[in-house]
Amino acid sequence: MANILTVDDAWLSRTMIGKILKTAEHEIVEADNGLNALQKLESYTPDCIILDLLMPEMDGFGFLEKMQEKNIDIPVIVLSADIQDSTRTKALGLGAARMLNKPPKLNELISAVHELTN
Amino acid sequence: MQPTKDQIEALKELINIGVGKGAEILNSMLSSHIELNVPAVRVISTGDFSKELQKISDGELASVDLGFKGEFSGTSQLVFSSGAASKLVTALTGDMDYGDDLDTIRSGTLCEVGNVVLNGVMGSLGNIFETHLTYTVPNFREGSVNKIFNPLDENIDKLLLLAKTNFSVKELEIRGELVLYFELGALNAILKALDRLVVC
Repeated sequence: MANILTVDDAWLSRTMIGKILKTAEHEIVEADNGLNALQKLESYTPDCIILDLLMPEMDGFGFLEKMQEKNIDIPVIVLSADIQDSTRTKALGLGAARMLNKPPKLNELISAVHELTN
Repeated sequence: MQPTKDQIEALKELINIGVGKGAEILNSMLSSHIELNVPAVRVISTGDFSKELQKISDGELASVDLGFKGEFSGTSQLVFSSGAASKLVTALTGDMDYGDDLDTIRSGTLCEVGNVVLNGVMGSLGNIFETHLTYTVPNFREGSVNKIFNPLDENIDKLLLLAKTNFSVKELEIRGELVLYFELGALNAILKALDRLVVC
């Protein structure tokens, strides 16, 4: 069991991710954009973060940059609809540990969380 | 600059690949087969564009649009009749607990479906053209054709490159339209990107 922070502005995606993670009995905290996620990290340290890219207020790239600035060392799985190779390169370059594409697939997401939290 | 017949054919094929990716994604979300038609690609005026889109439905429509910018810029849209949109939401959220806020759930669900599918289409084109596109946050609208396609009013005198295809999910009795339109100013950039692909 791991503590996971899910950052996504879309209710549908947060719900789908939550359903998948609960099958592996992970504990989930949710934020709907990068700014709210940063605020949550002031009082909460998850084992892993699942991060969308395209969000209002602060997008996923902005969040990754802030993590680097603040030296926050928590593995991040980017889970985005954006399938561009250039986006994958940019996300990994900004410190994301994995880049997966939406819609989330059960085995793929559970495996990535397991690898990064064990 | 008008694209040649060969360039239109090449664009049609590339857009077909992108639409195929979008359909693959929708298929994995719905666990149902998606039937696709070959896209129509042509240059039209904004006046004709509105007429073209009137053909989709006389009734209420639900639409998600995703703007893209980069080497070429434009808008992609996923359009359903309101009835088909409701079936889609039910298919996706049937066993989920979402409380009382049905309108928000409906618009949020359709917005995310549009986001994922349209990213599949446009991301595929970005990868093929080896160019990076940045996206706007997707926008959901519901209403008449005029309301759905209102943003074009600002560009009333412009020409557009329109790509349009329809798809259906027979098991769920859902039909939809996938519409991409590029301002014609972007066409030169698209044709240059196309040339990069075919010239060794």
